Amino acid sequence: MTRSWNTDRRTFLRGAAGAMIPLPFLNIMENAVAKDLSGEVIPPLRFMSLFKPNGVHPPSWNINGGTESDFRMSPLMKPFEKHKDDLLILDNMGDFGFSSHANSARRFLAGRSDNTKTASMDQFIADKIGGNTPQRSLELTTEGLFTNQIGCSYISYDHKGEPIPRESDPQLIFDRLFRNPMSDPSQRKKMSSLLDHAADDARAIQKRSGREDSETLDEYFTVLRETEKRLENMGDTAVASKVDFTKLKRPLPAANLNEQVETMLDLTALAMWTDQTRCISYMLGNSNSRMIFDFLGVTEQHHYLSHFFRNFSRQNIDGLLKISLWHMEKFDYLLTKLKSYKDHNGSLLDHSIVLFGSGMGHSDNHTAQRIPIVLAGNGGGRLKTGRYLRYSENQDLSRLHLTLMQQFGVEQESYGAANAPLPGLDGGEFDEYEERTFKSWSKTEGNKLTVQGRLRMSENLDEAKVFYIDVDEGDPVRIEIEFRDFHEFNFAYHVGTAIQLTGTVSEKNGLQVMSKISQLQSLFGNSKPGTRGG
Amino acid sequence: MIPLSGAASDFETEVRPFLEKHCIKCHGGEKTKGEVDLSAIETMADAEAHAEMWDAVSVVIEDREMPPEDEPQPSDEAFAFFTSWYENQFLGAAVATPAEFKPRRLSGPEYRNTMRSVFGFDLEVNIIEAEQTVTEKSLIMKLLPTDPPGESGFVNDTRGARLSTTLWSQYSYLADCALEELFSPPKTSALENLVGSPITGELTENQTRSLLAHFSKRVFRRPVVDDRIETSLKRVGGKSGSELIAALKSEMKVVLMSPAFLYRGFLMESDPGNEQQPVDNFELAERISYFLWEDMPDEELLSIAASGTLRDSAIFAAQLDRMLASPKSRTLAESFASQWLLLDQITDDRQEPTYIHALKNQPLDFLNYLFTEDRPIMELIDSKVTFANSYTGVFYGDDRKQLKRYDKPRGVERVSMPNQRIDLIKAAGERGGIMTMPGVLGMNRGPILRGTWMLRQIMGDHLGEPPADIPAIKRSPKGKNLSFRELFEEHRSDKSCALCHDRIDPLGFALQGYDDGGGLIGKNQTRRKKNDQTKPEEIDASGQLPSGETFQNFEELKVILMTSKREKITRNAIEQMMRYALCRKLGRNDGPVVDELTSTILENNGTWRDLIHGIANSVIFKETLITNSRKESHD
Repeated sequence: MTRSWNTDRRTFLRGAAGAMIPLPFLNIMENAVAKDLSGEVIPPLRFMSLFKPNGVHPPSWNINGGTESDFRMSPLMKPFEKHKDDLLILDNMGDFGFSSHANSARRFLAGRSDNTKTASMDQFIADKIGGNTPQRSLELTTEGLFTNQIGCSYISYDHKGEPIPRESDPQLIFDRLFRNPMSDPSQRKKMSSLLDHAADDARAIQKRSGREDSETLDEYFTVLRETEKRLENMGDTAVASKVDFTKLKRPLPAANLNEQVETMLDLTALAMWTDQTRCISYMLGNSNSRMIFDFLGVTEQHHYLSHFFRNFSRQNIDGLLKISLWHMEKFDYLLTKLKSYKDHNGSLLDHSIVLFGSGMGHSDNHTAQRIPIVLAGNGGGRLKTGRYLRYSENQDLSRLHLTLMQQFGVEQESYGAANAPLPGLDGGEFDEYEERTFKSWSKTEGNKLTVQGRLRMSENLDEAKVFYIDVDEGDPVRIEIEFRDFHEFNFAYHVGTAIQLTGTVSEKNGLQVMSKISQLQSLFGNSKPGTRGG
Repeated sequence: MIPLSGAASDFETEVRPFLEKHCIKCHGGEKTKGEVDLSAIETMADAEAHAEMWDAVSVVIEDREMPPEDEPQPSDEAFAFFTSWYENQFLGAAVATPAEFKPRRLSGPEYRNTMRSVFGFDLEVNIIEAEQTVTEKSLIMKLLPTDPPGESGFVNDTRGARLSTTLWSQYSYLADCALEELFSPPKTSALENLVGSPITGELTENQTRSLLAHFSKRVFRRPVVDDRIETSLKRVGGKSGSELIAALKSEMKVVLMSPAFLYRGFLMESDPGNEQQPVDNFELAERISYFLWEDMPDEELLSIAASGTLRDSAIFAAQLDRMLASPKSRTLAESFASQWLLLDQITDDRQEPTYIHALKNQPLDFLNYLFTEDRPIMELIDSKVTFANSYTGVFYGDDRKQLKRYDKPRGVERVSMPNQRIDLIKAAGERGGIMTMPGVLGMNRGPILRGTWMLRQIMGDHLGEPPADIPAIKRSPKGKNLSFRELFEEHRSDKSCALCHDRIDPLGFALQGYDDGGGLIGKNQTRRKKNDQTKPEEIDASGQLPSGETFQNFEELKVILMTSKREKITRNAIEQMMRYALCRKLGRNDGPVVDELTSTILENNGTWRDLIHGIANSVIFKETLITNSRKESHD
């Protein structure tokens, strides 16, 4: 069957947006934007944050080795590797201890999980830049509320620290942005004609039924008159837009999660490009998302899989990585979209800052260190992208937030745990992580083994519970531990660093295998990096 | 002592002085609080002319809400006299008469269901429904303001919830959404269903006509007799492609915004020759379908209405049974009973959706079983059947062994599970009937709330508002370790408290053996982390009802409820269902129908099905009153 309206689900925005909206956009928006002293247009700056649920599988995410300008992106970063020049990848971000899912969601935009009496940073930014646009900000999500731990469902908080309701439906967002009678005169015309017809209808009923039913019909007529009046008043105050939104096609209901999310990302880009809003936060899922990615062929819940140590199987790791890669692909999708829109003398991404990441690091024991955080877009020159910043010490997320807020002009001297901005984002000096030299050795006393060296995870995906410490002479020591030791000694935190480890050892297949840990000592860092639960 | 009232002359000798002494200060002459003016009522004839007002006055007098506490109070005898005067003069004289006909706006759920039936699909929010998350999937329920319950206690009684511009603009938006979706490729089969033939390419003129006719018939719940379809066709005539679709959408939207769709009753044909008259067949079809389904009539019911045979008693009965057998009749449990018994309040301390789902669905599944499987009304109080899943199985001792294992999919942490029907063998005494379902016990914590719920919801008693100046419950004096029960008994020794608490407390304390999570104390049935401190041997669940019956525990109270309180409970169930079916509060002229149904059902241990048939066949359901003022305007 062929039909004239049988078009692709998302053609409304796909590709040739320029054909639907007259270009160059610059001229259309000229009235609405600021100019500098020489009369040059200053493009508006946008902020978008994209939240990835359930932390990461660190061996697939972490960049091990490399320097600020010379580094290789990790396997999980492959989907957005092509945007390397537009990225600022931050490492060693986080505070201390372990994090609950609810706390990790708060941390993502509020810096600290206990920073609960103030707004999240996106809202400070929205206050600053959202005033002149039809929508001050958009808070978006994908799934329903997790009422059992309600904090899992929100990243954006108002100035009282209360969660801000989020919207998941692309059609509703589309209608709010582009079918709003305030911004679309054709909607007002349609409504006006509907009111005429409805009044005719009500009068016909009055006549035909032979009964007045006066009270009830009066009520109906009154509402018609009031709506008419409101419509007339709206004509005076409506936002004059030169963009013809009627040409935009409303998205169809999404057939699966992928379509829903891509449609929403399309809309966020279009909303920022048409200057309907300048500030958006979007959750790809609740922070402990139980979503099932059946369209990827994965039938287990994301949260279950994210506990890859406890629920270990090769199949589970495969499933988890498929889901994580999908998240990374959506980040790529967004960046590609933002680059595709011409905005003044560059692309939309050039005049945006995108914050992508999570609120926890290791997804099984919930460490709050090495939290995945990537910035994209140089924000009109505010960030120096194309770099990998690995800080020498844990940097609180609130330092990053404070810095970003200041770059958007928010006058804030401190935020969460931060009293000073995070250095290095603009290309300035920062205290970079440095490799220090140390000796690697092992020594055995009976069934007790002490080994010193760099802790690494097995490179074999079949061995999620296996770690190694390489020594200068001889074979590496293999470590096979249960979740209890893994968690108690916070292995996830120490992976990649130099430690001294003592434990019970036996020999298997010619290798020394440590199975029970009695002591862990960090050579250069904190041996017990906090145990605050949360 | 004043003799109980009987004669009409009592008004002048007793009632009028009573009003002058206690009421007219605030409700007469210049002051008419609550728009009640009693000063104009000087004779029995005046009193009879304001029958409706006495219904309201008698309720506040009986509940002792009036006169207010800080005014001098009439003697108990004077109260009793007034009540008996009212009952003899008004209730006794009532004749079963239908209420005046009034169009009524569809409630939110009715609108949602009707839209679904019109279009053939639900308007849904795009949101991922993962396990353990809570979502409002219906776009309609998400966007429409929640209807408050009307005077009847039910939200389908929308007379008090007026149409507003906000509501109107939401209707308009929802109509746009539905029409947009109807003409989208994924909904082709829904569109073809409305058109009545397969669509190949452009809609033909015949198809356009057929679409508009079918659509209007569904929307108005009756055939469209005027020339509106021709008018619409003229307006869309000559158009093609996207212009045709746009024109059709705007024609169809007008239909969806018509008062005849948004309200029920505007299109009913009436007989100007009579005041009291049967409602027309389509109105009757709507009355039963909104009662049993909370939805418009389906094709079968509409065609029977059109054929004129709906009033044939065998056909009518067969339709009621067919509709009860349909899964759509679950709305009787989910809407009617849930509102009646306040089941929406069921929750869980931890807000765990899968557990809340388990707790809520127990009473809903049980009520659905009572309503649709011809079960006696009194099984609400005691039954040998219940519904449970593995979350709630813990409350049923050995009886839970009947539950078949539910295999959770691999890699899924917690799931909402369907209930299974189980027979109560050992746990029937403790768990049979709705009152000891864990969710119901958990939503009313403590004896006072439990007793109040039982009194209001199950027995149908009126309780006035508690007085404003309740003293705090005193602490246990030093050296004496008084239980809450003993402390409370002291507290309610005050006369004004005792008025209600003598009725509330025995019922509530009878449930002392159940903890706040609904578990039996001492039987390890609780999910609560902090176990109740009470030891089983310290529980005192005994009591005495104001009517004299005594009991040692809840099981004994249940026997009393099943016997000496049977009439009261049955009558309340009947009144509640009638309010829901009629979408209005009951008045004096409904009394005879309630009386007759109550006695029939009591005689035969009647079932919910009997009650549903009884209501649907009653004169107050099948007929209506078209008053003079309306007839005059006919010409």
